[in-house]
Amino acid sequence: MSLPRFELFQPQTLEEACGLLARYPAGEAAILAGGTDLLVNIKRAIIPAHLPRCAGCGPQTGKPLMMVDKTPQCLIALSKIDDLKGIKEEDQGISIGSLTTITQICKSGLIRNKLTALAEGGDNLGSPLVRNRATIGGNICNARPAADMLIPTYALKGILELISPKGKRNIPVEDFITGPGKTIIYSNEILTKIHFPLPGRKSGSSAIKLANRKALEIALVNAAGVLTLDQENRIAQVRIALGAVAPRPIIANRAMEFLLGKEPRKEVFIQAGQIAAAECQPITDHRGSALYRIEMVKVLVKRTLMKTAERAEMEIQI
Amino acid sequence: MKRIINLTVNGIEYEIAVPPHRTLLEILREDLNITGVKQGCGIGDCGACTVLMNGLPVFSCLVLAMEAAGSEIITIEGIADGLNLHPIQKAFVEQGAIQCGFCTPGMVLNAYALIKENPEPTEKEIRQAISGNLCRCTGYQKIVEAVQAAAEEMKLKDRRIEGYSL
Repeated sequence: MSLPRFELFQPQTLEEACGLLARYPAGEAAILAGGTDLLVNIKRAIIPAHLPRCAGCGPQTGKPLMMVDKTPQCLIALSKIDDLKGIKEEDQGISIGSLTTITQICKSGLIRNKLTALAEGGDNLGSPLVRNRATIGGNICNARPAADMLIPTYALKGILELISPKGKRNIPVEDFITGPGKTIIYSNEILTKIHFPLPGRKSGSSAIKLANRKALEIALVNAAGVLTLDQENRIAQVRIALGAVAPRPIIANRAMEFLLGKEPRKEVFIQAGQIAAAECQPITDHRGSALYRIEMVKVLVKRTLMKTAERAEMEIQI
Repeated sequence: MKRIINLTVNGIEYEIAVPPHRTLLEILREDLNITGVKQGCGIGDCGACTVLMNGLPVFSCLVLAMEAAGSEIITIEGIADGLNLHPIQKAFVEQGAIQCGFCTPGMVLNAYALIKENPEPTEKEIRQAISGNLCRCTGYQKIVEAVQAAAEEMKLKDRRIEGYSL
C-alpha cells in the first residue's frame, strides 16, 4: 500500500513554510503535521474499499464518501519548525504549539492540572501509537465533528493563532470550524498555536467520550465541560461542548444559561443534560442511531458536569 | 526528488537515498531488509508496523522516511541480546502469547517501551499500551500475561544484578 508520488518540503521556519504554501494553488499543497490523518487520507484514494473507519466513509458501504480524485502534489512538513512545539505558561493562560503531540499534552502536569478536559480528551484519542505522532493542531484543523481535542478546546475557549505572509489573526475556535472538515483557514495560513485562558479559582473541567470501542474509535458522543463556582458555591461560569451530535461541535448555550447561579447538584445536572439534548441534531450511522445519541447526551452532560463540579469543589485548580 | 537521509537502526547508522513518498516501513523492509517489522493495514489501525522512534512506539507505515531522518529506530531485531532472547520475547514464547506471530513484533516493542517507562505496569496499563495493536489469533489474555511475566522477570533480574554489585 504505497503512497502516490509527491514532493515533500521540510521548511525550517514559519516564513519559509508560508512562502512554500503561497507558491502552490489551493488544494495542491497540504500541510503535514503528525500524518496520522493526512497520510491515511492520501492512501485512501488508492484503497478501493476502505474499512468503515473514518468520518469520510459511508455507513453502509464502508466506501469513501469523498473520493480523493487528486492527491496533493506536495506536502509541507512542519516537523522541523521548533517554534510550533511545546506548552507555555503565560500571564493570561496557557498556549500550546500546534505541533505539540497528544502524548506530550497528556503527560504535561500543567495541562492535567489546569486544562484537565484537554488532557482527558487526549487520553481518548486513537491509540498510544497514534498519540505519539498526532498533533493538537492537526486534530483541530481536520475539523471533524467528533474530534477528541476539538471538543475540550471548545469547552476551554481555545483561541487559535493563524499566521500567513500577510500577518497574524486570532480566531476563537467556534468561529474557526464551519462544517465537517471545513474551516475558515486560508490556503496560505498556518495554525501556529492555541491559547487557552485559565479557568480561574474554584474551577474544574473534564471530558468524556462514549464510543463502541476503547481505542482507535470515533466518538458516538463526546462531551466536555468547564465549571467555576462562586464564593457561595453556586455556579458562576459554565461551558458545555458536545461532539458528534451536529455537523460541527456545539456549545450547549441553553443548558449553560439554565445552570448559572444554581447549586452544583445532581438533579440540576440531570435537567441540564435534558436541555442540552434538545440542542443537538445528531444523525444515525453505523456507530449508533440519532435517538441513542440524544439519550447519551443526557448521560454524558450529567457525568461531565458532576466531574467538573467535584474538581471545582476540591480546588484542584488554583 | 530523492534525498539522502541518516537513520540509526538498531544501533547501526545508515545513509540512504529516499524519495519523498516512501514510508519508514518501506525503507526498513525493502531497502534495509529488516523484515521483522510488518505491513498490516497500512493506515494506522493494526500496529503490526510498530517501531520505536527515539524511544516512542509509532506506526512506521504513517511516518515518511524523510520525516524520520536523524532519528534512532529500534525494530524487533534490535531487542534481543545476540542469540539470547529478550525477557519479553522469552515470556511471549513461554506463555503461549504467539500463534501466527504477525502481531508479535509490534506487541513486544510496545511492551518494551511500556516496561522501560513503567517497570511495574498494572494489567490495565498493559492493555492500554497494546490497545493500538491488533491480534487475531490468541486473543489478548496470553499477551497480557506474557508482559506481566516479563516485567516480573526483568525486575528480578535487576535485583540479581544489584545483588552482584553489592
